Order: sequence, then C-alpha cells, then structure tokens
Amino acid sequence: MNILIFIKQVADTEARIIIKSDHQSLEVENKYNMNFFDEFAVEEAVRIKEKNKDSQITVCTIGSQKAVEALRTAIAMGADRAFLLDGSKAAMNDPLAISKILAAFAKKEGFDMILCGRQAIDDESANVGAMASELLGVPHVSAILKLEVKDDGKTVKVENEIEGGRGIFEVTLPALFTTQKGLNEPRVPLITGVMKAMKASIPLIDPATLDMPQEAFAADASKVTVLSYESPQERPPVKIIEGETPEEKVRNLVRALKEDAKVL
Amino acid sequence: MPKDIFVFVELKEGTVRKVSLELLSKGKEIADCFSSTLYAVLIGHNVKGIAASIQPYSDKVIVVDNEGLADYRWDTYTGVFEALLGKYKPYVVLGGSTITGKDFFPRLAARSGGAIVSDAIGIDLHNGGVKIKKPLFGGKVISWVTCSDASVIFITFRPNSFGVEKRLLRGEVIEEKVEAPKDPRMNLLGAEKHVSEAVDLQEADFIICGGRGMKGPENFQILEEIAGIMGGRVGASRAVVDSKWREYEDQVGKSGKTVSPKLYIGCGVSGALHHTMGMDTSKAIVAINKDPNAPIFHYADYGIVDDAFVVLPALREALKKTKEEI
Repeated sequence: MNILIFIKQVADTEARIIIKSDHQSLEVENKYNMNFFDEFAVEEAVRIKEKNKDSQITVCTIGSQKAVEALRTAIAMGADRAFLLDGSKAAMNDPLAISKILAAFAKKEGFDMILCGRQAIDDESANVGAMASELLGVPHVSAILKLEVKDDGKTVKVENEIEGGRGIFEVTLPALFTTQKGLNEPRVPLITGVMKAMKASIPLIDPATLDMPQEAFAADASKVTVLSYESPQERPPVKIIEGETPEEKVRNLVRALKEDAKVL
Repeated sequence: MPKDIFVFVELKEGTVRKVSLELLSKGKEIADCFSSTLYAVLIGHNVKGIAASIQPYSDKVIVVDNEGLADYRWDTYTGVFEALLGKYKPYVVLGGSTITGKDFFPRLAARSGGAIVSDAIGIDLHNGGVKIKKPLFGGKVISWVTCSDASVIFITFRPNSFGVEKRLLRGEVIEEKVEAPKDPRMNLLGAEKHVSEAVDLQEADFIICGGRGMKGPENFQILEEIAGIMGGRVGASRAVVDSKWREYEDQVGKSGKTVSPKLYIGCGVSGALHHTMGMDTSKAIVAINKDPNAPIFHYADYGIVDDAFVVLPALREALKKTKEEI
C-alpha cells in the first residue's frame, strides 16, 4: 500500500500572534506543531503499515523551511520519507492553488491512499482534502472515525461523521480520507524514531518543477487576497454577579441577561 | 453581468436548517445592494413542499428533486450544482460551515475552479464586490479577505453569523431536471443517525456547557433540563469528553466544535484556551465556577463565583419562569 499524507505545520494554540502595525502581516511566536487532526492521519498510516509490511508512507507539506520540523515529527511517528514543497512563491492564501500543488505532487509520486486531517486548526478551513481529491479525480470521505483495509487491498471500509450520526462507506482505492478525532490514539514517538527523524534527509521541491502551469499556483495569480488583519473586539471585564444566596445571584444574573445583554 | 447570489439550502429531517435561513437573509441584503437576484437552491427528494417555506426569503427558488438526491453525497450534489452554475452563472455561492458544507463546498469549488473562503463570520461590500470576514488562530486574529471576480466565489459561514430576517417575498419556484450519477467507487453501506428533536450544537442559540467541575456524567442531567427549557443544547469541555462522560460530538473547542450561540453558560469549566477558542464569538458568556481565579472569568461577560451544584437548581427555576412569562 502506497500511502501519502498531507500535513500542515500550524501555530501552537498558546502561541502569541502579533498583528503588524500596517495590518497587512502577522508575527507568530516561534511555537509550532503538526496540525492536531493530521496526527490521526499519520497514526492511521503507521497502523496500516504494521499490518501490511510492504506499505510505504510518504508525508509532505507546503510551507517555509521551518515546516521541516512537522515532517520530522511524522517520520519519528513512523513515516518512511518526507518532502517539503516550497511555499515561498506559492499563493498560500488560495486553497485552490495549494491543492493544485499537492495534487500535482501526489500525481508524480503515485498513491493508493491519501490521508490528511479534516481541517487545520489555524484557519479551520477544511478545504485541501476535498479539493485535492477533486483535482485528482478520486473519491473522498471526510472526517473518518474508522478505517479498515479489505483483504483484497483495493477497497476500504470507512465510518465517518455525517450530520447527526455516522455514515459507513465502502470505497475503491485510490481515494482520499480526512481524519477526525476518535479514529485512533496518536502515538508518542519513541527515541529511536526521533533519532531516525533527525537524520532523515528531506528534499525541498520547487512547485514549478511539478507538472502544472505556473499560473495555477503562483502568488500573483491568487484568487484570494487578504485585505487586512485586525484584533478581535475585546470583551469588557467580567461582571461578577453578587448576592447573599445562590437564588439571589441567579435573580441578578437573569435580570442582567434580560436588561443589559438582551439575550433572554 | 448581474451579481446573482446562490444559497445552498440545507435540510435536517425534512425541514430547512436555521443556518440556511440566516444565509438567505444576508444574501437578500447583498443582492439588493447589487440589484441582483437571490436564488435559494433546494436539492433533495420530495422537497417540493419545502420550497414553500423558503419562498418568503428568496427572489427565486431553484428545486432539483429526484430519488438519487434524497441524502447528501458530494458526488451527486456536486454534479447538480455544476450544471446549475453553468446555467445561472452566479457571482457568489453561500453555504453553512457545517459537516455537509465542509465536505461539499471545497469539492465543488475545485471542480468549478472557483475561489473559496471557508468558516467565515461576516460579509460586506468592497470595491463593487464583496469582502469576507474570517477569524484565524481560534479568533485571536480577524482577517478580511477579498476574491478575484474572475470566477465564482464560494463562501461557507459559521451558523449564527447572521440573524434571520422575516421577509415577505414570494420567490418563484423553478424546477430544474438534472440527473447526477453516483460515483460507483463509493458505496454507502449504512448510516446510523440519532433521532433527536434537539437543535444542532452549532446552530443552537443557547448552550450550557459542563466542565470537569461537574464531577461526573450523572450531574449533566440538570444541564439537559436547562437546555430543554431553553430549546438549546448541552456542550462539554475536552476533559469531560476525554473522561467519556459525554460524546465527542458535544465537545466545544479547538479540537471539537466552534460555536457562537446568543447565550453560552459554562458550569465548572476552567476555561482553557482550546475551549474558549471554540466559543468566544458567543454573544453573551456566563461563567459559573467556585474558583474565582478560573481563566474562564477572563472571557466571560458575567460570572457567578459559587458552587455550580447550588446555583444550577436556582438557575433552572429562574429560566423556567422567564420562559413562562413570554
């Protein structure tokens, strides 16, 4: 089984984000992780490989040189090899451009299955998985909670999150699945894995060398442009509701919710 | 070219979801600014009767009704929309940032080569087009983005981003016949749905959320009672879900669901960052916690420093009374 994983390096939820004074760019504190939902993708691939020894796990991301750290984490967990797609000249705000680069890379490498997190926790967009599968002409199932490769190695049974419950699908490979919390428990890498990851050489790939026209992904062809970044409106300090008894506190709270906040 | 607006109408158990009415309301406002037409697009099986309930909100209602469209699948729905986009050439297509919207819109945008902005919370006019408001990094940053006019623009919005405006339009119903084949590589073997009258967590106007301070799953009963009185839903913090007191689908926060109800009440929720990132766009936030130093008080509008177990029975009675007065 040839498994390809798309991951994203994202700012840690605790990282400080500073909006530059021109409101055109951001400064992110140097605290990054592999996207939370991508860990389930890597874990699932490693579990498939544990059952089907002749599997190969390839992981890739688009980003700056720094994103190599997230790729190394994936190798430490058990991925075989990793590639960094150079994001410096790509339209990073345009999900279609990103998906085109990933799809072109997938086409070049070949795959039976692509796994990626259901969404990135920095922008919560959930675009790349479904977009890349459309560009590759393969089926996709979003937010999977269970995956079982059939004995023929050509079909997969998955369960996923649908509105108000679970769906169960049988899908013919090649296909793409986005991973949801609950699929598995991602492992903490062993020291031997970390050593292997430190030593792994991770090639940097220029998207321009992939088989697609430059205007498909170039920054100046972006279909989506950021106009500005702003700070969210700050909430005024909390009003602590006083009272002699719980009943009195509740009475005062309900009055405030009715009269000040006007939400009751 | 007129800048027409499409709204993808989502159904739940045969009724129109609130998020779709919100988008029709906002969509009409924008269509009026452009002097263009607001189309509600209703896809499904035996949905002609439902069209009547969205006519008041729409300039026109496009209905595609056949057996193969009974349940949402990206393959059939993308096929139908592709045909409609080719015929009607809308400027922008709006949908909910729901489980279905997140599965459907990117696939459709990739097929049509369009621009996509997902999980937005606002939209405004900009340079003869639109600009879109989208939170980043769990709400630490708000970005405004715009899309090139060269292609269709697809936008998904979080439920509760807009209000539902009562309108008195009488949108003409247009029936379109589009056959969209299923992708033979993907077979639905079955679906398990919980039959629930309760509103969807992300669409709820009222959410009462329990944290580890609730001490055990049995103590969520009173939260259920309060949610029932308010027509809302019970949410849970990650600690609660990890302890298996509640299902993952109830989880509010960075690794769960992002919600923005009118009123959020946190009970025994400490307010870790990954939780508050999932609820800080709520209109009013109330925290009930006996620890005055709990971080949730930094995010709350109103706080009660007391034991949740003594406050909740009083709150249940007070809210019951409030509801009876209306």
